[in-house]
Amino acid sequence: MTASASERLASRTILLFALVLVITPLVYLVGLSFKAPEGIFSNPIVPFSWPLDLTNYRSVLQQMDVPKFFLNSLIYAGGVTLGQLILAIPAAFAFSYYDFRFKNLLMSIVLISLIVPFVVTYVPNYLLLARWGLLNSLAGMIIPMLGISVGFGIFLLRQHFQTFPQEVFDAARIDGANSWQVLWRVLVPSSLAPIVSVAIYVFIITWNRFIWPLLVGGGDPASYTMTVAVDIYYANPESGANWGNLMAASVVSTLPSLLLYIALRKQILRTFIEGAVKG
Amino acid sequence: MTAHPSLAHRVKQLSVAQMLAGVGNRLTPYLYLAPALFFIGLFVLWPVARAFYNSLYDGNLLFPYREYVGPERYVDLLTNERFHQILIQSAYYLVLMLAGAFALPILLAIVTLNVTEREIGIFQSVFFLPTVIAANIAVSVWIWFYNPTGGLFNTVLKAFGAEPVVWLRDKDLVIPAVALVAIWKQFGFHYLIALAGLKSVPKDLTEAAAVDGANNRTITRRVILPLFGPTALFLLVITLIQGLEFTFVPIEVLTGGGPAGASSNLIYSIYQEGFRTFRVGLASAQSVVLIVLFGGLAYVQYRMLERNVQYDR
Repeated sequence: MTASASERLASRTILLFALVLVITPLVYLVGLSFKAPEGIFSNPIVPFSWPLDLTNYRSVLQQMDVPKFFLNSLIYAGGVTLGQLILAIPAAFAFSYYDFRFKNLLMSIVLISLIVPFVVTYVPNYLLLARWGLLNSLAGMIIPMLGISVGFGIFLLRQHFQTFPQEVFDAARIDGANSWQVLWRVLVPSSLAPIVSVAIYVFIITWNRFIWPLLVGGGDPASYTMTVAVDIYYANPESGANWGNLMAASVVSTLPSLLLYIALRKQILRTFIEGAVKG
Repeated sequence: MTAHPSLAHRVKQLSVAQMLAGVGNRLTPYLYLAPALFFIGLFVLWPVARAFYNSLYDGNLLFPYREYVGPERYVDLLTNERFHQILIQSAYYLVLMLAGAFALPILLAIVTLNVTEREIGIFQSVFFLPTVIAANIAVSVWIWFYNPTGGLFNTVLKAFGAEPVVWLRDKDLVIPAVALVAIWKQFGFHYLIALAGLKSVPKDLTEAAAVDGANNRTITRRVILPLFGPTALFLLVITLIQGLEFTFVPIEVLTGGGPAGASSNLIYSIYQEGFRTFRVGLASAQSVVLIVLFGGLAYVQYRMLERNVQYDR
């Protein structure tokens, strides 16, 4: 499709304007984190000051146990990702290669689990964790999340598994492989790309979760994730004029998902689109 | 003669083994599904059932079933003026979300069709940035933007000689202020979906129209947009269903529902009753209202997901 030169220019201008609006908060987020504490109020409109000042990062590292909370986030996001794959891969396999009674009904259950609003499940799940003594533990944070988000992995992987030729599957069966072997030795090794995409997607979403880890792990610093710690330590910055600290802690906590995004942008955008249902 | 019984015996044995194998084969898909469905059942479906049950009782997080209230709970809730206010505020949020997270992304995606592929790559990557950052982290800079003394917005206002505004403590401004943050966070994702929908229109259709002498605007309006219908419907439904969820973290971080409940909505209220005032029964009853109100939309979304599932094979 070819647009006229004036249409092209107008479109570009509109999009550039939108781009500036979208990126401005992020520029200030990063900029303020590198400003000396006294500089934040003296000239609020200019986001950056030169030279970059590391005071905020130093005080964040002193005030909160960043390595510990970082590790907690890693265990939480890694645990959910791994558990989700272990549950979703066989399920997606069953939906792609077998015909069985109640197949449609069971698929509906998976789809419905994608639609249920999170607040509806949080109170009952919290009560369940309390009964099991799993509050303020990473296990308590991970286990219910497997049920809440596994539908997504099943949904996405199923679409990829179905593109895998049924003949290869049948040939392996004729050669004497049972379905378990076909799954792990044939299908999974040849579907690594989509599996990794789903893993990255789940990891980012889980790393970024805030309310659930706050509810389950917010009672004890031993189970704070990074997002929770930033909120508990700095979310009320007006009291201590801790703006710079809040921004520095925010930057640190967002680095993993941001770096993954920068490194694997195309793949991540594609997975997000697939997850949103191909229009 | 002696061989016959043993042969018959062996034949019988074989068929039993085959039968067992047959049963085993028929069980196989269920075995693969069982673990995932167990987790979904326990942590998603069961909680939904619990919400209905819990709503009939009065109690707190420690003792959710202290006292049976029964259906009267719903009479109380539905005649409660504060709850009406929450429903009105929810509708207001949704209207703003429709403008910013449904109409705006589609309009910008249409405009994007006029620029080069390389530029499209840049725009969608940058627009998407707020989506890959944790919600409370992304919102944190807005606490400072809206801060009445020394925050960015009031500093700019002051530079133009205007009076400072208490953005988040003004009950008329607080919902647009919070919704703006939610839109900023979600915009890129919806833009991405809209753009993917527009670009999935087959090239030969637009080229054929161009050969027939149609200009750009006509092609967009007559060829692309009609085929864009399903994507638009999908975006509409998810904006309506998830619109209140998008505003949840901005509310929690920026206002806590205040001032005096003026920025709360149905989703935030469920959370607040459950985890702040510990009225589990009330939170559950509001969950049921949420399920009933959005059930129809959820059904539309479900049908779209289902159709997508059936397309594949």
